[in-house]
Amino acid sequence: MTAAAIAREVGAQLAKADSAGLNATLHWSTECLEAEARRVDGMNTPGALHALPIAVKDNIVTIEEPTTCGSRILEGYLSPYTATAVRRLRAAGAMVACKANLDEFAMGSSTEHSAYGRVKNPLAHDRVPGGSSGGSAALVAADVVPAALGSETGGSVRQPASFCGVVGVKPTYGRVSRYGLVAFGSSLDCISVFGKTVDEATRVLAVMSGPDPLDATTVDRPPMKPAPAMASLQGLKVGLPREYFPTDLHPGVRAGLDRTVAVLRDLGATVSEVSLPHSKYAVPTYYIIAPAEAAANLARYDGVRYGVRKVGPEGNIGALYRATRGSGFGAEVRRRILIGTYVLSAGYYDAYYRKAQTVRALIAQDFQRVLGSNGVDLLLTPTTPTPAFKAGEKTEDPVQMYLADIFVCAISLAGLPALSLPVGRDQGLPIGAQLIAAAFDEPRLLAVAGLLERSLHGTEEVR
Amino acid sequence: MTIGSDQVKHVARLAEIGVEENELPRLVEQFNRIVDYVAQLDEVPADAQAQPFLAGPEATPLREDVVSPVRLARPPAAMAPEFADGFFLVPRHGAMEDL
Repeated sequence: MTAAAIAREVGAQLAKADSAGLNATLHWSTECLEAEARRVDGMNTPGALHALPIAVKDNIVTIEEPTTCGSRILEGYLSPYTATAVRRLRAAGAMVACKANLDEFAMGSSTEHSAYGRVKNPLAHDRVPGGSSGGSAALVAADVVPAALGSETGGSVRQPASFCGVVGVKPTYGRVSRYGLVAFGSSLDCISVFGKTVDEATRVLAVMSGPDPLDATTVDRPPMKPAPAMASLQGLKVGLPREYFPTDLHPGVRAGLDRTVAVLRDLGATVSEVSLPHSKYAVPTYYIIAPAEAAANLARYDGVRYGVRKVGPEGNIGALYRATRGSGFGAEVRRRILIGTYVLSAGYYDAYYRKAQTVRALIAQDFQRVLGSNGVDLLLTPTTPTPAFKAGEKTEDPVQMYLADIFVCAISLAGLPALSLPVGRDQGLPIGAQLIAAAFDEPRLLAVAGLLERSLHGTEEVR
Repeated sequence: MTIGSDQVKHVARLAEIGVEENELPRLVEQFNRIVDYVAQLDEVPADAQAQPFLAGPEATPLREDVVSPVRLARPPAAMAPEFADGFFLVPRHGAMEDL
């Protein structure tokens, strides 16, 4: 099949998803799809991702289409450069299919905080797809594209992957260049990937990984080389951190995890309980560090150099800043900038920010101990405490929304690789299991997930 | 600790974010709820010690100190709300008391 034929089919699927009201895309055009197809069909040698259509979260910049980050403050913004990850995918023959909807500036857990409207979960339209990369997850779940780019700061790919029943992989911090990913929390941000299967996610991650002179936080290691497919898990040690299996865990989620543990044992793995005592502080730690970094990173949106400008009533520069930022940012982004400013301000810095940095180090130390040479090879946890919740259920209570990320954000704070794998359904809603590995152990993590995927039948009811 | 509306207004001013008076009560209530929630880190002993954690490479890689042109698909003038003669145009700063 030519890239042109694949691009036409993707265009038809995108139009179908839009008319079904998913609201998962922000920008796409037949012209851009045709241009991508012409480029790929004209390549002398087919690349590793030849003619693979990929949706790109709209906080990753491309020069052909706007990058809005789901915000009014960047309405119509066209980047002057393309993200390194996207450049690498294109060089391998992939085609950018569309820019995907997201929570504004990637701040949210339900994709209800986009200035361009909420994204619907394709499996149940009254429910959220998770967030913040909800548009990317929904497009893969709805079979519009086989793979998509998202971004993670505190679980924004694994959590929507779990809610939509697709694979979501967050690499080790520093594995993939952040050049061209609009900054939110720079010590946490990672471009991450969704795949319909583990195989697609692995291929995409392999191509976009590797050091980049344009991002000093990339680690000087060669691009990820996928491990051969596994047939057995004999000798593999898997830990179940007890703090991630509370007594009030949703019964469907528990049943999905029980099923996964049984399959792991059948395949030869040794499964034992471990402890990560500081993970219980991950959400409050994250909601100090991430807003603090966001308050600094989002200071650049001031209506001067790019984006939307609004002139305040006093007509001076200060009024311009306040009017532009006050009306350009949505409620959740403003709230986080204010919290971030507060925890960094004189008199509160030590009590909040410095304390959170200490707890972050304790959280990371727990993982290093458990995944160290005398510990286990991988950890298994639920990705989310419940299946996808109903739209509007948590929008009035920010803390309840933050708790949707209770099992994913510790891993982001520790900079580790992890993925969410669909392991079954409860009353039709997907259940995700999270596998966590030591830094740069993605090849084994993905190979184990591939074998589990083949053994589990992740669309079956779990109880 | 309860944070009042004056303190939230002060933080909003530091962050250069305009907040309408009618938005304040809800914002103050949510601000307090979040700050109360993150305050549970007080449970961690003040003398808790851990190796400082830094994600990413152990040291910042250095490159040769040479300037290379940044190739951009479009110039600042195409992106800025107002731009002329190589400058971004903004309103006057105003008197000190305006700022």
